[in-house]
Amino acid sequence: MAKKDKEDDEFRPTGTIAILAIFVITLIAIWTTIYMILVGRGGTL
Amino acid sequence: MKQYQLSTGEKKFIGSHLLVAILALAVGSLFGPLQAFEHAGWDFYPYLKPFIKSYYQGLTVHGVLNALVWTTFFIMGFLTFNVMFGLKRPLKNMTLNKVGFWLMVVGVVAAAIPILANQATVLFTFYPPLKANWAFYLGLTLVVVGSWVEGWGLFMTYIAWRKENPNERTPFIAFASIITALLWQICTLGIATEILTMLLPWSLGLIENVDPQLARTYFWFTGHPLVYFWLLPAYISWYAMLPEQAGKGKMFSDSLARLSFWIFLVLSTPLGFHHQYVDPGIPPAWKFLHSMLTFGVFFPSMMTAFTVVASLEHAGRKNGGKGALAWIGKLNWSDPSVAAQLLAGILFFFGGIGGLANASYNVNLVLHNTAFIPGHFHLTVATGVTLSFMGISYWLLPYLTGKKLWNPKVAVAQAWTWFVGMIIFSNSMHVLGLLGAPRRVPLGLAPYVPAEWNSRLFQVGVGGAILFLSGALYLTVMLMTALNKEKVAEEVTVPIAESMQDLSHTPEWLDRWAPWVYGTLALIVIVYGPQLFDMIKNIALTSPGFRVW
Amino acid sequence: MSTKQMHIDPYERNWMIFSAILLVLFATAVSVAAFGMGIQVPAPETRVDPRTVAVDPNSPWSNPGLREIEPGKYDAYILAHAIPNWEYLPKEITVPAGSSVSFYVTSGDVQHGFKIQDTNANFMVIPGQVSKLTVKFDEPGTYNFICTEYCGSGHAIMYGAVIVTP
Repeated sequence: MAKKDKEDDEFRPTGTIAILAIFVITLIAIWTTIYMILVGRGGTL
Repeated sequence: MKQYQLSTGEKKFIGSHLLVAILALAVGSLFGPLQAFEHAGWDFYPYLKPFIKSYYQGLTVHGVLNALVWTTFFIMGFLTFNVMFGLKRPLKNMTLNKVGFWLMVVGVVAAAIPILANQATVLFTFYPPLKANWAFYLGLTLVVVGSWVEGWGLFMTYIAWRKENPNERTPFIAFASIITALLWQICTLGIATEILTMLLPWSLGLIENVDPQLARTYFWFTGHPLVYFWLLPAYISWYAMLPEQAGKGKMFSDSLARLSFWIFLVLSTPLGFHHQYVDPGIPPAWKFLHSMLTFGVFFPSMMTAFTVVASLEHAGRKNGGKGALAWIGKLNWSDPSVAAQLLAGILFFFGGIGGLANASYNVNLVLHNTAFIPGHFHLTVATGVTLSFMGISYWLLPYLTGKKLWNPKVAVAQAWTWFVGMIIFSNSMHVLGLLGAPRRVPLGLAPYVPAEWNSRLFQVGVGGAILFLSGALYLTVMLMTALNKEKVAEEVTVPIAESMQDLSHTPEWLDRWAPWVYGTLALIVIVYGPQLFDMIKNIALTSPGFRVW
Repeated sequence: MSTKQMHIDPYERNWMIFSAILLVLFATAVSVAAFGMGIQVPAPETRVDPRTVAVDPNSPWSNPGLREIEPGKYDAYILAHAIPNWEYLPKEITVPAGSSVSFYVTSGDVQHGFKIQDTNANFMVIPGQVSKLTVKFDEPGTYNFICTEYCGSGHAIMYGAVIVTP
């Protein structure tokens, strides 16, 4: 159905990788911050 | 190539969904800023006393109308559109779908009366033993049943299409819409059981007491997949419509888009305990299992992030975009539908981050029922979903009515004000939560609020004010469009992004239903069955009802 | 229908592998905190009848308060109630720094929450159930515990405090 364009074959989602890299760094930073709050407050048993 | 045309009657039917949805949003959104203002110390509730008795009644109106009514009506309308337009055929039985729609309308009215009469100030989670008027529970039941009936109408339509087209790959928007409707049918069994076996007979005086822990467990059986019921229609638009609107981009991976929808179906129900990590009545082992499955359901969202962003990048590059990030500027930001959905998507990234933190088992001890939670879901349902739906309505309303969108520049401004207002509101709510501020509390009145929260509480109010303006802009655009004398030049083209790969690359197993559906049901039985069975076996109907508002 | 192999772009394939690894790392960190450091979520305790829990002489919540189990170890029985005026009983408990306190909290009416600020004690209080977590208080100070679940019109004023003396 979809006819293939030549440029589609050459399309490499490098910008996508850039955006997702920013996302993942933010994700790890925020998640780790909250995790460290948890660990800093100690056990509950 | 001329697009498939919906009949005037069909457009009217979908338009009726939109009408109820927007009316609900109009009323519900009035109360959101009032909550935010209260936090900042500008409490308007005393002036509303003749109509609205308390902050909590306002919060109930806000939650029920925005989270349940606006979403459900918009979604059922949008899914119905996708099924008809995607399959290029009318509904198999329009009468059935109309019955479903009217059941939902009657349900909303039935629930609205006790809410407005302050007889159901139980918030949108209605945890017993807070006891609302029976009409509230009956109304919610009718909304759910009505949405089921509409769903059955969609399934019948799909089956009829399949008979006529035995060898074709299901068009993506119809495929994804049917999965969303199916997910809803399965997951709402929880809330239906809660209301029909406990809350409704209890509120009618037929039974004396309920088991609140079991009721919560039924509620959250539905409560988390509810989130995906909200989200998947936005994903459909992001995957299959937005790239086309943003610059004739193509859908980067049809196969993975379909695969992610199947994973959502399979995984979004059997993880409800992640809302109950700190409930006393559920063993930690089960909670831990649900947390692992929650990590699992994050995976298809990561896939979605890639495919959607890549499809948008394709559009940006086609428009001449260069560089690692500069192509973003080449997307059609002047189209309000595009601006709204792109901005919704950006904030949704952060919603995902907060969601992953909430879902991380014991990390929830830091976050549970703090202001972090409403901060989080205002990025997901109130932006990722709601701002996307607003964006969709910017082409859908002209499509349905044949009237030109009134002042697209105002509509673009609406999207940006929502984005900015929500950043301010949500960021301060997240921070407040980490500082220990509870949710669902008029913090302006709470005696334990330390001074260090004040600057953040003020920002909550500022964010609320900007959002109030944005909401007003949205309603203005919708109203003025509906009244617009200027017609669209020709039929509005429905934006459909074609697939980058030939559809023959989409494997056949992604279009087979039985294994996925059986798999879903089996996983639910495995992951919910034993604990639920145990709780039902040991049911303790010991809680009488209370009306303490 | 053709049965060609599913096409996955190499970039996207790597992203999927990376995502899976990332999620496994998060799951591992959570497991270490839970099973290695004893930072756990509440587990089922005894069940009670919320209609009698505050008055039944056999119920610890008919006489809520602090019990010293051994030096530096305490059990705190706390009753949350909306009726008549949204409070915890007792409203205040005092322990010396370094104490380990196990909180046993239940409700005499509707659902409540119980969150002790700046600690990992944060849980639902559900009528018919007993919620328990343990906190070790090393730093002297006042730790408010607040209600984190909507419980009626007095929800915002419902709080108490653990006072940790030097």
